[in-house]
Amino acid sequence: MGQDSGWSKRTLLLVIVFISCVTIFPWLGPPVYFISFAFNVFIYITLATSWNIIGGYTGYLSFGHVAFFGIGAYAAAIFGMWFGLSPALNILASIPAGLVSMLLAILVGYPCLRLRGPYFAVITLCFAFVTELTIRNLDFLGGADGLWLKGLALPIEVSRSIFFELMLVLTLVTLFVANRIEKSKFGSGLRAIKEDEEVAQTMAINTPKLKITAFAISAFFPGVAGGLYACYLTYIHPDIVFDVNVSILIVLMALFGGGAFWFGPLVGATILTFVNEGLSTFVKAEYARIIYGCLFIIVIIFMPNGILEFAKTRMVKKPAKFEAAVK
Amino acid sequence: MLKGTRIEKHFGGLKAITNLDFEIHQGEIVGMIGPNGSGKTTLFNLISGLLKLDTGKIEFEGSTISGLAPYRIAALGVGRTFQIVRPLMELTLLENVTIAVLYGRSNVKTVDMAREIAMSILTFIGLAPRFDNLPGQLGLEGRKRLEIARALGSKPKVLLLDEVFAGMNPKEIGGAIDLTFRIRDEYGVTVFMVEHVMKAIMRTCDRVIALRNGMKIADGVPEMVANNPEVIRAYLGDNYAKN
Repeated sequence: MGQDSGWSKRTLLLVIVFISCVTIFPWLGPPVYFISFAFNVFIYITLATSWNIIGGYTGYLSFGHVAFFGIGAYAAAIFGMWFGLSPALNILASIPAGLVSMLLAILVGYPCLRLRGPYFAVITLCFAFVTELTIRNLDFLGGADGLWLKGLALPIEVSRSIFFELMLVLTLVTLFVANRIEKSKFGSGLRAIKEDEEVAQTMAINTPKLKITAFAISAFFPGVAGGLYACYLTYIHPDIVFDVNVSILIVLMALFGGGAFWFGPLVGATILTFVNEGLSTFVKAEYARIIYGCLFIIVIIFMPNGILEFAKTRMVKKPAKFEAAVK
Repeated sequence: MLKGTRIEKHFGGLKAITNLDFEIHQGEIVGMIGPNGSGKTTLFNLISGLLKLDTGKIEFEGSTISGLAPYRIAALGVGRTFQIVRPLMELTLLENVTIAVLYGRSNVKTVDMAREIAMSILTFIGLAPRFDNLPGQLGLEGRKRLEIARALGSKPKVLLLDEVFAGMNPKEIGGAIDLTFRIRDEYGVTVFMVEHVMKAIMRTCDRVIALRNGMKIADGVPEMVANNPEVIRAYLGDNYAKN
């Protein structure tokens, strides 16, 4: 609900040029490693941005968000198996896979969103564990062996580039939706819930409905991302797609960047994925973990509202004009 | 307009409200007085749905509202403020009121329209020059005004004011009395207020309801209630009530 609801033409142009450059990047023949790395960055941006809709905007810290990613991955794989989809069609099945995640979020959210604060965090964490255990023990879902998917019959550079583009589109859509929500009536209702849920109710805000909606949206995009990831990797296993570290990492990424803005998780996820990759390339793995942990401690102590808020308060704030608001 | 019939509310063994009847008519300013712990805020919480009744019922414009969720009651046009002010601290004054307008009964379509209405309410309440401030930058009196502005943002038909005058100096009380009349006359809102400041009660209210230990002990014009022996006994003890 910012004062400026539209971007200036110059900003818009810059954004379009930047996105175009990113789009053509994999076709310029860079090493496959870079394409895969960018693919990972996109996944984390998507996950952190989706998480932020329930966690950052609404103040419900979901610590089990990886479950929706994993469910999406399994749903896409199952759709592919049951309907005997070709690899290309299997990629499209990521969208219904996202809907499966969304449906589950509604079922789980209905009882869980009555809980607040640490209780909600714990129960979502448990939800992720329970989902993982269930899948690990169901033989028709591959159990502890995982599932194989058919890959695209294309050279690895081409196939990776295609997934790069698909994930880029998903990331942009997620960012766009988060941006629209932030500036909408819906988003301002979520902010009121975050601040004081009881007061929000006395402001005639239908808090249960808004929370469920936010939770469902925040589960959809990870579900689609999970589906794409399954097709990309052509092999999924509970250890990979239900990794609890991912759950925690996306929370940290969103909070690192700043949970109040749609681009907070974008900044947080980008920086942290680069830092993580840089550390694991140039520093011994054990030290990398320690440095990574220290970084979080520093950010949480000195910039509790994220680096963006930290940067904002350090810039000179111009006095706002009275007329500007009435306009 | 707003009517309660045989309301009861217990907290464990404590009877907070016992067999209470009350009625507020459209266009009235009604005060509610009573010593601490007599059930005034509990009654407001029951009306706005934050607490559930044990027995009895509350009706608003002829339909039962007791048992509805708080947001449904608010959407019907019952607004309220909180005794201990609860502004949305991370949002500016304008945003606080705009959100109330968006979800209230004004039926606005866009955020910009809501912002305009919110700005006019802030002008009415006297906070317009500080629209871009955070609630933390206001003093207590300003926060109380913000609390009223946010309640008005929902465009209520009846407004429950919980001790708006408490902690104000005489000059601020004068302003707040004036504001209470203007809320009714300019916004057409019926006012039901809990108050300890007798000066404010005597000057603003058409009618006063007095509570003691969750029971109604008086209901009538302010002078009559203020001189009622039961009321004097409730506040000052038996010695004063005899005269």
